[in-house]
Amino acid sequence: MKTINSEHHLDLTQEDEKHYSTLNLGPTHPATHGIFQNVLMMNGETIVGAEQTIGYIHRAFEKIAERRPYYQITTLTDRLNYCSSPINNIGWHLAVEKLLGVETSKRVDYMRIIVMELARIADHLVCNSVIGVDSGALTGFVYVFQEREKIYEIYEELCGARLTTNLGRVGGFDRDFSSAAIQKIKALMKRLPKVLHEFENLLMRNRIFMDRTINVGGISAERALNYSFAGPNLRAAGVDYDVRVQEPYSSYSDFDFVVPVGQNGDTYDRFCVRQTEMWESIKMINNALANLPEGKFYTDVPSFNLPPKQDVYSKMEPLISHFKMVMGEIDVPKKEIYSAVEGANGELGFYVVSDGGRTPYRLHFRRPGFIYYQAFPEMITGSSLSDAILTMSSMNVIAGELDA
Amino acid sequence: MEYTILLQELKNKFEDKILSVDEAADIFTLTVNSEAIKAIVTYLKEQQSFIFLTDLCGIHYPEQEKELGVIYHLHNLVANKRIRLKTFVSKAHPQIDSIVSLFSGANWMERETFDFYGVDFVGHPNLIRILNVEYMDYHPMRKEYPLEDATRLDKDDRFFGR
Repeated sequence: MKTINSEHHLDLTQEDEKHYSTLNLGPTHPATHGIFQNVLMMNGETIVGAEQTIGYIHRAFEKIAERRPYYQITTLTDRLNYCSSPINNIGWHLAVEKLLGVETSKRVDYMRIIVMELARIADHLVCNSVIGVDSGALTGFVYVFQEREKIYEIYEELCGARLTTNLGRVGGFDRDFSSAAIQKIKALMKRLPKVLHEFENLLMRNRIFMDRTINVGGISAERALNYSFAGPNLRAAGVDYDVRVQEPYSSYSDFDFVVPVGQNGDTYDRFCVRQTEMWESIKMINNALANLPEGKFYTDVPSFNLPPKQDVYSKMEPLISHFKMVMGEIDVPKKEIYSAVEGANGELGFYVVSDGGRTPYRLHFRRPGFIYYQAFPEMITGSSLSDAILTMSSMNVIAGELDA
Repeated sequence: MEYTILLQELKNKFEDKILSVDEAADIFTLTVNSEAIKAIVTYLKEQQSFIFLTDLCGIHYPEQEKELGVIYHLHNLVANKRIRLKTFVSKAHPQIDSIVSLFSGANWMERETFDFYGVDFVGHPNLIRILNVEYMDYHPMRKEYPLEDATRLDKDDRFFGR
Protein backbone atom coordinates (compact mmCIF):
# COMPACT_ATOMS: atom_id res chain seq x y z
CA MET A 1 0.00 0.00 0.00
CA LYS A 2 1.08 3.49 -0.68
CA THR A 3 2.37 5.42 2.28
CA ILE A 4 2.68 9.10 2.66
CA ASN A 5 6.41 9.07 1.98
CA SER A 6 6.39 6.94 -1.14
CA GLU A 7 6.52 8.63 -4.51
CA HIS A 8 3.19 9.66 -5.87
CA HIS A 9 2.60 11.18 -9.23
CA LEU A 10 1.90 14.67 -8.02
CA ASP A 11 4.80 16.48 -9.62
CA LEU A 12 5.95 18.83 -6.95
CA THR A 13 9.23 20.63 -6.77
CA GLN A 14 11.09 20.88 -3.49
CA GLU A 15 10.05 24.51 -3.35
CA ASP A 16 6.39 23.46 -3.48
CA GLU A 17 6.85 20.89 -0.78
CA LYS A 18 8.04 23.56 1.60
CA HIS A 19 4.77 25.40 1.24
CA TYR A 20 2.44 22.46 1.04
CA SER A 21 1.64 19.89 3.64
CA THR A 22 0.50 16.35 3.06
CA LEU A 23 -2.62 15.09 4.73
CA ASN A 24 -3.73 11.50 4.95
CA LEU A 25 -7.51 11.23 4.80
CA GLY A 26 -8.20 7.61 5.62
CA PRO A 27 -7.94 4.66 5.29
CA THR A 28 -9.85 4.61 8.55
CA HIS A 29 -11.32 8.06 8.80
CA PRO A 30 -14.91 8.54 9.93
CA ALA A 31 -15.63 10.87 7.01
CA THR A 32 -14.61 8.43 4.29
CA HIS A 33 -17.44 6.03 5.25
CA GLY A 34 -15.33 3.07 4.17
CA ILE A 35 -11.78 1.84 3.95
CA PHE A 36 -9.89 3.82 1.35
CA GLN A 37 -7.22 6.42 1.55
CA ASN A 38 -6.81 9.87 0.07
CA VAL A 39 -3.41 11.50 0.18
CA LEU A 40 -4.10 15.20 -0.06
CA MET A 41 -1.57 17.91 -0.78
CA MET A 42 -2.71 20.98 1.08
CA ASN A 43 -1.88 24.63 0.78
CA GLY A 44 -3.33 25.73 4.09
CA GLU A 45 -6.98 24.76 3.89
CA THR A 46 -6.98 24.45 0.08
CA ILE A 47 -6.39 21.19 -1.73
CA VAL A 48 -3.81 21.45 -4.50
CA GLY A 49 -3.61 17.79 -5.40
CA ALA A 50 -4.90 14.42 -4.34
CA GLU A 51 -4.34 10.78 -4.94
CA GLN A 52 -6.43 7.84 -3.81
CA THR A 53 -5.27 4.46 -2.67
CA ILE A 54 -7.83 1.68 -2.84
CA GLY A 55 -7.75 -2.07 -2.46
CA TYR A 56 -7.86 -2.35 1.33
CA ILE A 57 -10.82 -4.72 1.23
CA HIS A 58 -10.08 -6.45 -2.07
CA ARG A 59 -11.55 -9.96 -1.85
CA ALA A 60 -10.71 -11.32 -5.32
CA PHE A 61 -14.36 -11.85 -6.29
CA GLU A 62 -13.59 -12.25 -9.97
CA LYS A 63 -11.05 -14.96 -9.26
CA ILE A 64 -13.33 -16.72 -6.78
CA ALA A 65 -16.18 -16.57 -9.30
CA GLU A 66 -14.12 -18.57 -11.79
CA ARG A 67 -14.42 -21.52 -9.45
CA ARG A 68 -17.97 -21.11 -8.30
CA PRO A 69 -21.18 -22.44 -9.89
CA TYR A 70 -23.62 -19.76 -10.98
CA TYR A 71 -25.84 -19.94 -7.89
CA GLN A 72 -22.91 -19.56 -5.53
CA ILE A 73 -21.89 -16.31 -7.18
CA THR A 74 -25.03 -14.52 -5.98
CA THR A 75 -23.51 -14.22 -2.52
CA LEU A 76 -20.46 -12.50 -4.00
CA THR A 77 -22.62 -9.83 -5.63
CA ASP A 78 -24.19 -9.03 -2.25
CA ARG A 79 -20.89 -7.68 -1.12
CA LEU A 80 -20.27 -5.26 -3.98
CA ASN A 81 -22.53 -2.34 -3.19
CA TYR A 82 -23.77 -3.61 0.15
CA CYS A 83 -26.15 -0.67 0.57
CA SER A 84 -28.38 -2.09 -2.16
CA SER A 85 -27.54 -5.79 -2.41
CA PRO A 86 -30.91 -6.86 -3.89
CA ILE A 87 -30.17 -4.88 -7.07
CA ASN A 88 -26.84 -6.69 -7.39
CA ASN A 89 -28.47 -10.08 -6.78
CA ILE A 90 -31.21 -9.52 -9.31
CA GLY A 91 -28.74 -8.00 -11.75
CA TRP A 92 -26.72 -11.20 -11.55
CA HIS A 93 -29.80 -13.38 -11.99
CA LEU A 94 -30.78 -11.32 -15.04
CA ALA A 95 -27.28 -11.89 -16.44
CA VAL A 96 -27.60 -15.66 -15.95
CA GLU A 97 -31.05 -15.56 -17.54
CA LYS A 98 -29.61 -13.73 -20.53
CA LEU A 99 -26.95 -16.41 -20.77
CA LEU A 100 -29.58 -19.15 -20.66
CA GLY A 101 -32.04 -17.30 -22.87
CA VAL A 102 -34.85 -17.29 -20.30
CA GLU A 103 -37.85 -14.97 -20.56
CA THR A 104 -39.35 -14.18 -17.17
CA SER A 105 -43.04 -13.72 -16.55
CA LYS A 106 -44.62 -10.34 -15.83
CA ARG A 107 -45.29 -11.19 -12.23
CA VAL A 108 -41.64 -12.00 -11.65
CA ASP A 109 -40.62 -8.77 -13.38
CA TYR A 110 -42.97 -6.66 -11.28
CA MET A 111 -41.90 -8.34 -8.06
CA ARG A 112 -38.30 -7.67 -9.02
CA ILE A 113 -39.04 -4.02 -9.73
CA ILE A 114 -40.60 -3.65 -6.30
CA VAL A 115 -37.54 -5.13 -4.63
CA MET A 116 -35.03 -3.23 -6.75
CA GLU A 117 -36.74 0.10 -6.22
CA LEU A 118 -36.91 -0.52 -2.47
CA ALA A 119 -33.19 -1.14 -2.56
CA ARG A 120 -32.63 2.03 -4.55
CA ILE A 121 -34.57 4.01 -1.95
CA ALA A 122 -32.52 2.44 0.86
CA ASP A 123 -29.28 3.30 -0.93
CA HIS A 124 -30.26 6.87 -1.74
CA LEU A 125 -31.55 7.42 1.80
CA VAL A 126 -28.14 6.50 3.19
CA CYS A 127 -26.28 8.63 0.68
CA ASN A 128 -28.41 11.74 1.02
CA SER A 129 -28.73 11.65 4.76
CA VAL A 130 -24.96 11.25 5.06
CA ILE A 131 -24.47 14.37 2.95
CA GLY A 132 -26.50 16.04 5.67
CA VAL A 133 -24.35 14.53 8.39
CA ASP A 134 -21.13 15.62 6.74
CA SER A 135 -22.40 19.15 6.47
CA GLY A 136 -23.29 19.13 10.16
CA ALA A 137 -27.00 18.26 10.08
CA LEU A 138 -27.40 15.00 11.95
CA THR A 139 -31.16 15.20 12.47
CA GLY A 140 -32.27 14.22 8.98
CA PHE A 141 -30.05 11.18 9.11
CA VAL A 142 -31.77 9.92 12.24
CA TYR A 143 -35.22 10.51 10.72
CA VAL A 144 -34.64 8.58 7.53
CA PHE A 145 -32.63 5.75 9.01
CA GLN A 146 -35.80 4.59 10.65
CA GLU A 147 -37.32 4.14 7.19
CA ARG A 148 -34.25 2.32 5.95
CA GLU A 149 -34.74 -0.01 8.88
CA LYS A 150 -38.30 -0.64 7.63
CA ILE A 151 -36.93 -1.52 4.20
CA TYR A 152 -34.53 -3.96 5.82
CA GLU A 153 -37.47 -5.49 7.65
CA ILE A 154 -39.12 -6.02 4.28
CA TYR A 155 -35.99 -7.77 3.01
CA GLU A 156 -36.12 -9.92 6.11
CA GLU A 157 -39.69 -10.85 5.31
CA LEU A 158 -38.77 -11.66 1.70
CA CYS A 159 -35.59 -13.64 2.16
CA GLY A 160 -34.63 -13.79 5.82
CA ALA A 161 -31.56 -11.58 5.57
CA ARG A 162 -31.00 -7.88 5.98
CA LEU A 163 -27.71 -6.66 4.59
CA THR A 164 -26.27 -9.40 2.42
CA THR A 165 -29.58 -10.59 1.13
CA ASN A 166 -28.88 -13.32 -1.46
CA LEU A 167 -32.40 -12.52 -2.59
CA GLY A 168 -34.22 -14.24 -5.42
CA ARG A 169 -33.30 -17.07 -7.71
CA VAL A 170 -32.51 -17.51 -11.37
CA GLY A 171 -35.91 -17.23 -13.01
CA GLY A 172 -37.64 -15.42 -10.18
CA PHE A 173 -37.89 -15.90 -6.45
CA ASP A 174 -37.62 -18.73 -3.99
CA ARG A 175 -40.99 -17.88 -2.47
CA ASP A 176 -43.92 -15.62 -3.12
CA PHE A 177 -44.37 -12.29 -1.34
CA SER A 178 -46.08 -13.20 1.91
CA SER A 179 -49.13 -11.20 2.96
CA ALA A 180 -47.03 -9.77 5.78
CA ALA A 181 -44.46 -8.58 3.27
CA ILE A 182 -47.07 -6.89 1.11
CA GLN A 183 -48.55 -5.26 4.18
CA LYS A 184 -45.15 -3.97 5.21
CA ILE A 185 -44.44 -2.57 1.76
CA LYS A 186 -47.84 -0.85 1.69
CA ALA A 187 -47.31 0.59 5.17
CA LEU A 188 -43.91 1.88 4.15
CA MET A 189 -45.27 3.47 1.00
CA LYS A 190 -47.78 5.33 3.15
CA ARG A 191 -45.19 6.59 5.62
CA LEU A 192 -42.29 7.30 3.31
CA PRO A 193 -43.70 10.35 1.49
CA LYS A 194 -44.28 12.09 4.81
CA VAL A 195 -40.76 11.33 5.97
CA LEU A 196 -39.23 12.39 2.69
CA HIS A 197 -41.12 15.68 2.84
CA GLU A 198 -39.89 16.23 6.35
CA PHE A 199 -36.34 15.41 5.28
CA GLU A 200 -36.54 17.76 2.32
CA ASN A 201 -37.91 20.53 4.52
CA LEU A 202 -34.85 20.15 6.68
CA LEU A 203 -32.29 20.34 3.91
CA MET A 204 -33.46 21.18 0.41
CA ARG A 205 -34.06 24.91 0.86
CA ASN A 206 -31.92 25.25 3.95
CA ARG A 207 -29.64 28.25 3.45
CA ILE A 208 -26.68 26.69 5.26
CA PHE A 209 -27.03 23.40 3.42
CA MET A 210 -27.33 25.16 0.06
CA ASP A 211 -24.28 27.31 0.75
CA ARG A 212 -22.31 24.23 1.66
CA THR A 213 -23.31 22.18 -1.39
CA ILE A 214 -24.04 24.46 -4.38
CA ASN A 215 -20.99 24.79 -6.63
CA VAL A 216 -19.09 22.31 -4.51
CA GLY A 217 -17.39 19.37 -6.21
CA GLY A 218 -18.90 20.07 -9.60
CA ILE A 219 -18.11 18.22 -12.80
CA SER A 220 -19.18 19.11 -16.33
CA ALA A 221 -21.24 16.72 -18.44
CA GLU A 222 -18.38 16.32 -20.86
CA ARG A 223 -15.87 15.38 -18.17
CA ALA A 224 -18.37 13.10 -16.47
CA LEU A 225 -18.92 11.20 -19.71
CA ASN A 226 -15.18 11.08 -20.32
CA TYR A 227 -14.80 9.50 -16.90
CA SER A 228 -17.55 6.97 -17.73
CA PHE A 229 -19.75 8.23 -14.90
CA ALA A 230 -23.13 6.57 -14.64
CA GLY A 231 -26.23 6.77 -12.53
CA PRO A 232 -27.20 9.75 -10.37
CA ASN A 233 -23.72 11.28 -10.60
CA LEU A 234 -23.88 11.42 -14.39
CA ARG A 235 -27.47 12.60 -14.40
CA ALA A 236 -26.61 15.38 -11.95
CA ALA A 237 -24.15 16.62 -14.56
CA GLY A 238 -27.00 16.83 -17.06
CA VAL A 239 -26.82 13.59 -19.08
CA ASP A 240 -30.05 11.60 -18.98
CA TYR A 241 -28.51 8.15 -19.29
CA ASP A 242 -30.44 5.55 -17.34
CA VAL A 243 -30.18 1.84 -18.17
CA ARG A 244 -33.81 1.38 -17.14
CA VAL A 245 -34.83 3.64 -20.03
CA GLN A 246 -32.07 3.01 -22.52
CA GLU A 247 -32.17 -0.77 -22.39
CA PRO A 248 -35.26 -1.67 -20.37
CA TYR A 249 -34.94 -4.94 -18.49
CA SER A 250 -37.42 -6.65 -16.21
CA SER A 251 -40.43 -4.82 -17.82
CA TYR A 252 -39.30 -1.33 -16.79
CA SER A 253 -40.80 -0.20 -20.09
CA ASP A 254 -44.27 -0.79 -18.60
CA PHE A 255 -43.72 1.99 -16.12
CA ASP A 256 -43.92 5.69 -16.56
CA PHE A 257 -41.21 7.46 -14.64
CA VAL A 258 -39.16 10.60 -14.87
CA VAL A 259 -35.38 10.53 -15.15
CA PRO A 260 -34.28 13.60 -13.20
CA VAL A 261 -31.24 15.50 -14.44
CA GLY A 262 -29.22 18.26 -12.84
CA GLN A 263 -27.34 21.15 -14.37
CA ASN A 264 -24.02 21.75 -12.68
CA GLY A 265 -23.05 18.28 -11.54
CA ASP A 266 -22.31 19.64 -8.09
CA THR A 267 -23.06 18.19 -4.69
CA TYR A 268 -26.46 19.89 -4.47
CA ASP A 269 -27.49 18.53 -7.88
CA ARG A 270 -26.47 15.03 -6.89
CA PHE A 271 -28.51 15.39 -3.72
CA CYS A 272 -31.56 16.60 -5.65
CA VAL A 273 -31.29 13.93 -8.33
CA ARG A 274 -31.20 11.18 -5.71
CA GLN A 275 -34.07 12.80 -3.84
CA THR A 276 -36.22 12.93 -7.00
CA GLU A 277 -35.32 9.36 -7.88
CA MET A 278 -36.71 8.23 -4.55
CA TRP A 279 -40.04 9.87 -5.37
CA GLU A 280 -40.03 8.14 -8.73
CA SER A 281 -39.24 4.83 -7.05
CA ILE A 282 -42.17 5.26 -4.68
CA LYS A 283 -44.44 5.86 -7.68
CA MET A 284 -43.09 2.78 -9.41
CA ILE A 285 -43.51 0.54 -6.37
CA ASN A 286 -47.10 1.71 -5.86
CA ASN A 287 -47.78 1.15 -9.52
CA ALA A 288 -46.25 -2.31 -9.55
CA LEU A 289 -48.12 -3.32 -6.40
CA ALA A 290 -51.43 -2.13 -7.80
CA ASN A 291 -50.90 -3.93 -11.11
CA LEU A 292 -49.13 -7.02 -9.82
CA PRO A 293 -50.20 -9.76 -12.24
CA GLU A 294 -51.42 -13.12 -11.01
CA GLY A 295 -49.30 -16.14 -11.60
CA LYS A 296 -46.24 -17.96 -10.43
CA PHE A 297 -43.43 -16.27 -8.55
CA TYR A 298 -40.83 -18.08 -10.64
CA THR A 299 -40.27 -18.91 -14.27
CA ASP A 300 -39.69 -22.46 -15.37
CA VAL A 301 -35.97 -22.93 -15.73
CA PRO A 302 -35.83 -26.63 -14.91
CA SER A 303 -32.11 -26.75 -14.31
CA PHE A 304 -32.19 -23.74 -11.99
CA ASN A 305 -35.51 -24.02 -10.08
CA LEU A 306 -34.51 -25.23 -6.66
CA PRO A 307 -37.04 -27.71 -5.23
CA PRO A 308 -39.04 -26.75 -2.11
CA LYS A 309 -36.97 -27.10 1.04
CA GLN A 310 -39.30 -29.53 2.81
CA ASP A 311 -39.03 -31.90 -0.15
CA VAL A 312 -35.24 -31.64 -0.13
CA TYR A 313 -35.23 -32.82 3.46
CA SER A 314 -37.76 -35.63 3.04
CA LYS A 315 -37.54 -36.99 -0.53
CA MET A 316 -34.76 -38.57 -2.54
CA GLU A 317 -35.24 -36.99 -5.97
CA PRO A 318 -35.50 -33.36 -4.85
CA LEU A 319 -32.43 -33.90 -2.65
CA ILE A 320 -30.41 -35.09 -5.63
CA SER A 321 -31.53 -32.30 -7.93
CA HIS A 322 -30.98 -29.71 -5.21
CA PHE A 323 -27.45 -30.96 -4.69
CA LYS A 324 -26.74 -30.98 -8.41
CA MET A 325 -27.99 -27.45 -8.89
CA VAL A 326 -26.10 -26.00 -5.98
CA MET A 327 -22.92 -27.82 -6.92
CA GLY A 328 -23.30 -26.67 -10.50
CA GLU A 329 -23.93 -29.92 -12.38
CA ILE A 330 -25.93 -27.97 -14.93
CA ASP A 331 -25.46 -27.42 -18.63
CA VAL A 332 -24.91 -23.80 -19.51
CA PRO A 333 -24.55 -22.62 -23.11
CA LYS A 334 -21.13 -21.68 -24.41
CA LYS A 335 -21.58 -17.97 -24.84
CA GLU A 336 -20.45 -14.58 -23.76
CA ILE A 337 -22.81 -11.85 -22.68
CA TYR A 338 -22.83 -8.41 -21.16
CA SER A 339 -25.84 -7.63 -19.04
CA ALA A 340 -26.39 -4.35 -17.24
CA VAL A 341 -28.85 -3.05 -14.70
CA GLU A 342 -29.26 0.41 -13.26
CA GLY A 343 -27.72 -0.01 -9.83
CA ALA A 344 -28.16 2.65 -7.19
CA ASN A 345 -24.85 4.16 -8.28
CA GLY A 346 -25.22 3.62 -12.00
CA GLU A 347 -24.70 1.03 -14.67
CA LEU A 348 -23.88 -2.21 -12.90
CA GLY A 349 -22.65 -4.57 -15.58
CA PHE A 350 -21.85 -8.27 -15.64
CA TYR A 351 -19.58 -9.50 -18.40
CA VAL A 352 -19.82 -13.29 -18.38
CA VAL A 353 -17.77 -15.60 -20.57
CA SER A 354 -19.03 -19.16 -20.33
CA ASP A 355 -17.17 -22.12 -21.81
CA GLY A 356 -20.07 -24.44 -21.04
CA GLY A 357 -18.57 -25.58 -17.76
CA ARG A 358 -20.04 -25.46 -14.28
CA THR A 359 -18.46 -22.09 -13.54
CA PRO A 360 -17.98 -18.97 -15.64
CA TYR A 361 -14.71 -18.93 -17.55
CA ARG A 362 -14.45 -15.24 -16.81
CA LEU A 363 -16.71 -12.90 -14.92
CA HIS A 364 -16.13 -9.19 -14.78
CA PHE A 365 -18.21 -6.79 -12.73
CA ARG A 366 -18.57 -3.29 -14.11
CA ARG A 367 -18.66 -1.52 -10.79
CA PRO A 368 -19.88 2.06 -11.20
CA GLY A 369 -18.25 3.24 -7.96
CA PHE A 370 -14.83 2.01 -9.02
CA ILE A 371 -15.09 3.94 -12.26
CA TYR A 372 -16.37 7.30 -11.06
CA TYR A 373 -14.22 7.52 -7.97
CA GLN A 374 -11.17 8.17 -10.17
CA ALA A 375 -12.55 11.61 -10.93
CA PHE A 376 -12.40 12.60 -7.28
CA PRO A 377 -9.01 14.43 -7.37
CA GLU A 378 -10.15 16.47 -10.35
CA MET A 379 -13.38 17.38 -8.58
CA ILE A 380 -11.79 18.55 -5.33
CA THR A 381 -8.62 20.27 -6.50
CA GLY A 382 -8.91 23.91 -5.52
CA SER A 383 -11.61 23.41 -2.94
CA SER A 384 -11.30 23.22 0.81
CA LEU A 385 -10.96 20.06 2.85
CA SER A 386 -14.48 20.24 4.26
CA ASP A 387 -15.89 20.57 0.73
CA ALA A 388 -13.91 17.51 -0.37
CA ILE A 389 -15.61 15.47 2.34
CA LEU A 390 -19.04 16.57 1.16
CA THR A 391 -18.09 15.78 -2.44
CA MET A 392 -17.02 12.30 -1.46
CA SER A 393 -20.20 11.50 0.42
CA SER A 394 -22.38 12.90 -2.37
CA MET A 395 -20.66 10.66 -4.92
CA ASN A 396 -21.66 7.68 -2.77
CA VAL A 397 -18.33 5.90 -2.81
CA ILE A 398 -18.82 2.40 -1.39
CA ALA A 399 -15.68 0.51 -0.45
CA GLY A 400 -17.15 -2.88 -1.34
CA GLU A 401 -17.89 -1.70 -4.84
CA LEU A 402 -14.48 -0.10 -5.25
CA ASP A 403 -12.47 -3.13 -4.34
CA ALA A 404 -14.58 -6.11 -5.40
CA MET B 1 -28.50 -5.55 -39.59
CA GLU B 2 -28.01 -2.09 -38.14
CA TYR B 3 -24.27 -2.58 -37.88
CA THR B 4 -23.71 -3.28 -41.58
CA ILE B 5 -22.83 0.30 -42.48
CA LEU B 6 -20.55 0.70 -39.49
CA LEU B 7 -18.80 -2.54 -40.31
CA GLN B 8 -18.33 -1.50 -43.93
CA GLU B 9 -16.83 1.83 -42.89
CA LEU B 10 -14.54 0.15 -40.42
CA LYS B 11 -13.44 -2.34 -43.05
CA ASN B 12 -12.67 0.44 -45.51
CA LYS B 13 -10.50 2.16 -42.98
CA PHE B 14 -8.87 -0.71 -41.11
CA GLU B 15 -9.29 -3.59 -43.56
CA ASP B 16 -6.42 -5.85 -42.50
CA LYS B 17 -6.64 -4.90 -38.82
CA ILE B 18 -10.04 -6.47 -38.28
CA LEU B 19 -9.44 -10.16 -37.67
CA SER B 20 -12.98 -11.41 -37.14
CA VAL B 21 -16.53 -10.23 -36.74
CA ASP B 22 -19.21 -11.80 -34.58
CA GLU B 23 -22.68 -10.52 -35.33
CA ALA B 24 -24.45 -13.34 -33.53
CA ALA B 25 -23.18 -12.28 -30.13
CA ASP B 26 -25.39 -10.21 -27.81
CA ILE B 27 -23.27 -7.18 -28.64
CA PHE B 28 -21.71 -6.58 -32.04
CA THR B 29 -18.18 -7.94 -31.54
CA LEU B 30 -14.99 -7.27 -33.43
CA THR B 31 -11.64 -8.91 -32.86
CA VAL B 32 -8.93 -6.53 -33.95
CA ASN B 33 -5.18 -6.39 -34.21
CA SER B 34 -3.63 -5.10 -30.99
CA GLU B 35 -1.53 -2.53 -32.84
CA ALA B 36 -4.58 -0.81 -34.26
CA ILE B 37 -6.68 -0.69 -31.11
CA LYS B 38 -6.05 2.93 -30.30
CA ALA B 39 -6.72 4.05 -33.86
CA ILE B 40 -9.96 2.07 -33.95
CA VAL B 41 -11.17 3.38 -30.59
CA THR B 42 -10.27 6.92 -31.66
CA TYR B 43 -12.21 6.46 -34.89
CA LEU B 44 -15.22 5.01 -33.08
CA LYS B 45 -15.20 7.81 -30.52
CA GLU B 46 -14.63 10.72 -32.84
CA GLN B 47 -16.36 9.67 -36.04
CA GLN B 48 -19.03 7.26 -34.85
CA SER B 49 -19.99 8.87 -31.48
CA PHE B 50 -19.14 5.90 -29.30
CA ILE B 51 -18.39 8.40 -26.55
CA PHE B 52 -18.98 6.22 -23.52
CA LEU B 53 -16.45 3.64 -22.43
CA THR B 54 -18.63 1.19 -20.54
CA ASP B 55 -16.02 -1.28 -19.56
CA LEU B 56 -12.49 -2.50 -20.13
CA CYS B 57 -11.28 -5.82 -18.79
CA GLY B 58 -8.80 -8.59 -19.39
CA ILE B 59 -9.09 -12.29 -20.11
CA HIS B 60 -6.60 -15.14 -20.30
CA TYR B 61 -6.73 -18.13 -22.69
CA PRO B 62 -3.61 -20.19 -21.91
CA GLU B 63 -4.08 -22.48 -24.92
CA GLN B 64 -3.94 -19.63 -27.44
CA GLU B 65 -0.78 -18.37 -29.06
CA LYS B 66 -1.70 -14.82 -28.04
CA GLU B 67 -2.80 -15.60 -24.54
CA LEU B 68 -3.88 -12.33 -23.04
CA GLY B 69 -6.98 -10.54 -24.19
CA VAL B 70 -8.33 -7.08 -23.49
CA ILE B 71 -12.02 -6.47 -24.01
CA TYR B 72 -13.50 -3.02 -24.58
CA HIS B 73 -17.18 -2.22 -24.38
CA LEU B 74 -18.12 1.07 -26.00
CA HIS B 75 -21.54 2.67 -26.06
CA ASN B 76 -23.03 5.16 -28.48
CA LEU B 77 -25.53 6.78 -26.14
CA VAL B 78 -27.46 8.72 -28.76
CA ALA B 79 -28.13 5.82 -31.13
CA ASN B 80 -28.09 3.40 -28.18
CA LYS B 81 -25.67 1.02 -29.84
CA ARG B 82 -23.03 -0.97 -28.11
CA ILE B 83 -19.88 -2.44 -29.55
CA ARG B 84 -17.39 -4.88 -28.12
CA LEU B 85 -13.77 -4.90 -29.22
CA LYS B 86 -11.39 -7.70 -28.45
CA THR B 87 -7.71 -7.74 -28.91
CA PHE B 88 -5.07 -10.29 -28.02
CA VAL B 89 -1.39 -10.08 -27.18
CA SER B 90 1.20 -12.67 -26.24
CA LYS B 91 2.51 -13.03 -22.73
CA ALA B 92 6.04 -12.30 -23.93
CA HIS B 93 5.02 -8.98 -25.51
CA PRO B 94 1.94 -7.76 -23.68
CA GLN B 95 2.07 -4.22 -25.03
CA ILE B 96 -1.14 -2.41 -25.98
CA ASP B 97 -1.58 1.31 -26.53
CA SER B 98 -3.32 2.99 -23.65
CA ILE B 99 -6.56 4.85 -24.35
CA VAL B 100 -6.37 7.09 -21.28
CA SER B 101 -5.81 10.11 -23.54
CA LEU B 102 -9.23 9.39 -25.08
CA PHE B 103 -11.14 8.31 -21.98
CA SER B 104 -10.00 9.48 -18.55
CA GLY B 105 -12.13 6.72 -17.10
CA ALA B 106 -9.87 4.11 -18.69
CA ASN B 107 -7.14 5.00 -16.22
CA TRP B 108 -8.17 2.70 -13.40
CA MET B 109 -9.68 0.08 -15.69
CA GLU B 110 -6.30 -0.29 -17.39
CA ARG B 111 -4.52 -0.32 -14.05
CA GLU B 112 -6.85 -3.09 -12.93
CA THR B 113 -6.17 -5.09 -16.11
CA PHE B 114 -2.45 -4.58 -15.64
CA ASP B 115 -2.72 -5.61 -12.01
CA PHE B 116 -4.57 -8.84 -12.70
CA TYR B 117 -3.31 -9.90 -16.13
CA GLY B 118 -0.02 -8.09 -16.65
CA VAL B 119 -1.07 -6.28 -19.81
CA ASP B 120 1.34 -3.40 -20.39
CA PHE B 121 -0.58 -0.32 -21.50
CA VAL B 122 1.91 1.83 -23.37
CA GLY B 123 1.40 5.52 -22.69
CA HIS B 124 -0.52 5.11 -19.45
CA PRO B 125 0.36 7.95 -17.07
CA ASN B 126 0.63 5.87 -13.93
CA LEU B 127 0.61 2.13 -14.62
CA ILE B 128 0.94 0.67 -11.13
CA ARG B 129 -1.04 -1.95 -9.26
CA ILE B 130 -4.40 -0.79 -7.97
CA LEU B 131 -6.13 -3.45 -5.90
CA ASN B 132 -3.29 -5.82 -5.01
CA VAL B 133 -0.28 -5.00 -2.87
CA GLU B 134 2.58 -3.30 -4.64
CA TYR B 135 5.19 -5.96 -3.89
CA MET B 136 3.15 -8.76 -5.49
CA ASP B 137 5.30 -10.27 -8.26
CA TYR B 138 2.68 -12.06 -10.34
CA HIS B 139 -0.65 -11.35 -12.01
CA PRO B 140 -3.20 -13.37 -10.10
CA MET B 141 -6.10 -13.63 -12.57
CA ARG B 142 -4.02 -15.61 -15.05
CA LYS B 143 -5.19 -19.17 -15.32
CA GLU B 144 -1.93 -20.72 -14.12
CA TYR B 145 -2.70 -19.59 -10.59
CA PRO B 146 -5.35 -21.91 -9.19
CA LEU B 147 -7.63 -20.47 -6.57
CA GLU B 148 -7.14 -23.24 -4.06
CA ASP B 149 -3.88 -24.76 -2.91
CA ALA B 150 -3.24 -27.66 -5.28
CA THR B 151 -1.05 -29.47 -2.76
CA ARG B 152 -3.85 -30.04 -0.30
CA LEU B 153 -4.76 -33.71 0.07
CA ASP B 154 -7.88 -33.34 2.18
CA LYS B 155 -9.92 -31.77 -0.64
CA ASP B 156 -10.54 -34.15 -3.49
CA ASP B 157 -12.33 -32.38 -6.31
CA ARG B 158 -13.50 -35.64 -7.92
CA PHE B 159 -16.11 -35.96 -5.21
CA PHE B 160 -17.58 -32.65 -6.27
CA GLY B 161 -17.69 -33.39 -9.96
CA ARG B 162 -15.06 -30.82 -10.79
